[in-house]
Amino acid sequence: MLSRRALIAQLPVVGLAGSYAIRAFAADKTVTIGINLPFTGADAHDAQLIKEGAMLAFDDANAKGGAGGYKINVMQLDDGTATAGQYDPAQAATNARKMVADDSVVAAIGPQMSGSGKAMAPILSQGNLATITPSSTNPDITDPKFASTYMPAGKAIYFRTVTTDAFQGPNMANYMADTLKIKSVYILDDSGAYGVGLANAYEAQAKKRGINVMGHDQLDPKEADYTTILTKIKSMNPDALYYGGVAQAGVKVVKQSYDIMPKMIRAGGDGVYGAEILKGGGFPAAEGLYATIAAPDLLANPDAESFIKAFAAKYGEQPENYSITAYDAALVIIDAIERIAKSGKPVDRNSMRDAIQDSHAKTLQGAVSFDKNGDITSRVVSVFQITHDPKFPDDDVLHQYKYIGVAPATA
Amino acid sequence: MGWEAVYLQQVINGLSLGAMYALLALGFTLVYGILELINFAHFNVFMISSFIGMMALELFGLSGQTHVLTGLPLAGVMIFAFIATMLGAGVIGVVIERFALRPLRGIPGTVGMITTIGVSYILFNIVLLTEGAGSFNFPNPMPRVSWPIGGATLELRELLIWGVALVLMVALHLFVNKTRLGKAMRATAQDSEAARMMGVDVDRVIVMAFFLGSALAGAAALIFGLYYNYTSFIIGYTAGLRAFTAAVLGGIGSVTGAMVGGIIIGLIEALGGQLIAVRWTDVIIFSILVLVLVFAPTGLMGRANPTKS
Repeated sequence: MLSRRALIAQLPVVGLAGSYAIRAFAADKTVTIGINLPFTGADAHDAQLIKEGAMLAFDDANAKGGAGGYKINVMQLDDGTATAGQYDPAQAATNARKMVADDSVVAAIGPQMSGSGKAMAPILSQGNLATITPSSTNPDITDPKFASTYMPAGKAIYFRTVTTDAFQGPNMANYMADTLKIKSVYILDDSGAYGVGLANAYEAQAKKRGINVMGHDQLDPKEADYTTILTKIKSMNPDALYYGGVAQAGVKVVKQSYDIMPKMIRAGGDGVYGAEILKGGGFPAAEGLYATIAAPDLLANPDAESFIKAFAAKYGEQPENYSITAYDAALVIIDAIERIAKSGKPVDRNSMRDAIQDSHAKTLQGAVSFDKNGDITSRVVSVFQITHDPKFPDDDVLHQYKYIGVAPATA
Repeated sequence: MGWEAVYLQQVINGLSLGAMYALLALGFTLVYGILELINFAHFNVFMISSFIGMMALELFGLSGQTHVLTGLPLAGVMIFAFIATMLGAGVIGVVIERFALRPLRGIPGTVGMITTIGVSYILFNIVLLTEGAGSFNFPNPMPRVSWPIGGATLELRELLIWGVALVLMVALHLFVNKTRLGKAMRATAQDSEAARMMGVDVDRVIVMAFFLGSALAGAAALIFGLYYNYTSFIIGYTAGLRAFTAAVLGGIGSVTGAMVGGIIIGLIEALGGQLIAVRWTDVIIFSILVLVLVFAPTGLMGRANPTKS
């Protein structure tokens, strides 16, 4: 039997009509997914690794003829600004409006940072545009207590392929009490939505576990000098230093804390898990730092091996865990499009939101499903420690962060 | 650590910060003294110089903190890095003056100041676009040597900061007060028109002020990099604002005032952080700026300018 294309080639008249039909058909079958990450500023490298994770899934789907026949376009937006030097909530809000204003955008991936998430969620809710964040972990955004702020339209639109700081902070406090056996701690945060939330959640659980919290101070992430506060901490001599925040201040905390108290146990959340910390912090300053992520250690998963290979081949560097959660977020979106296409309904924001809400998509972290607030139902927090492996590049997240185990949940 | 040791350590930290602010504040003061212009491009001349310093050190194959040099090679590398960074920074200052500010000379009002803000953003974005937005691990070839002093530790790099700052400030003081060109600068600062009538080449004096101010920012930038082992495209902002506050506190236009102001701001930052909390540092420092502007606009050592109303 002649294929349709061959037939068209042989019959110019039919061909004209046919190609017109195909073009019209193709134009109908395109959806746009927004990707909003801070490509400018201190987290740019990690944002890039996250984007590449998502793009790998979308490019694969497009190469196979699209998701359920829909070709996926990407609208890439940058919520980092030069003035902020990192993610900028005002820019994130602008980007959210841009996505909502464009009818072809049916779902989004991002943001990386909770500070941006807080700015975007109300706008996305009004526009009924679902987003899946691969890394932002502040619990308020999906907390029903704050529904009037972050989901004024009533339905969950902020989905996550990671769990929240309601688990990340406390579980790390448990780990530090149980395994590292610390008795006292000093807490710092970077004044951002994520950092403050994480540090507060950590502090509450640390106190419950009987750890003596000797102080909790806030850093200005643009400030270069933290020797003052670190000297003060040194004089109090706590067993450990916990930092809630992202790389901009994190790099300097890592460097200067090593200079001032090289033997101190230092720990942080997923804000200090990433290439920026390794590159900017450098060795030996970064050595020994504990970091957590709000997801299982996906890179150790045997299923992830082919992903890692494909990623390295395509982008010339190693992925990190949040490249995988971004890949998973993209898989959830692709799966949603496919299910809608199969059911014959139009792929629009409404159907996408509902399909994501009911997701059981098979991803690298297993079947992903969300509760009614948008939070992932799996709640694993993994602990890593930076252990220098000179065989690999210094900023190779996969090989410089050594997986230690799962941080115990609060019983 | 006993409390005496803690405070001693904070004073050491504060003096190191203060030395950096003082060098940076001198650049504001030199230009203001002569042109009555607040040069906001100075923020990012400082920032861009730290990248020049980093490249100068990388010429020797240095990276990170693991390549340690001692003795003559260390001295040689350091002297080269300081000369390269200060020259580079000075040239940037001169270029800014020549191409962005000289065409506007004589236009009254805030045009010049606003232009420097624009230039500042241009420098900022040049670095952002060419170097990227990450944090850089600044190479430091100095061995980690430290001496215990009454429970606190004094590190080699701190001595270096104080030494370099002291030498540069004394040199500047001598230059301004003892040389012909220095005399011409003081004359221009007092009354540029009269100075011109007396045969002073005012353009040359202005170029010199930009060169010296920027070269000092270059020295501050290299010190910054060696002290924190870090640089990034955003470092100009906070350091620049603090240094500007230092210049105003000391009395903008006064060379000694900038030095004293820098040291005071550094000490306030360190001791304020110790006594209260670092989250209040900016509040304290900028409250001082407001108070000085309201109650003593000429600062600690400034003089009211007799030629201007």
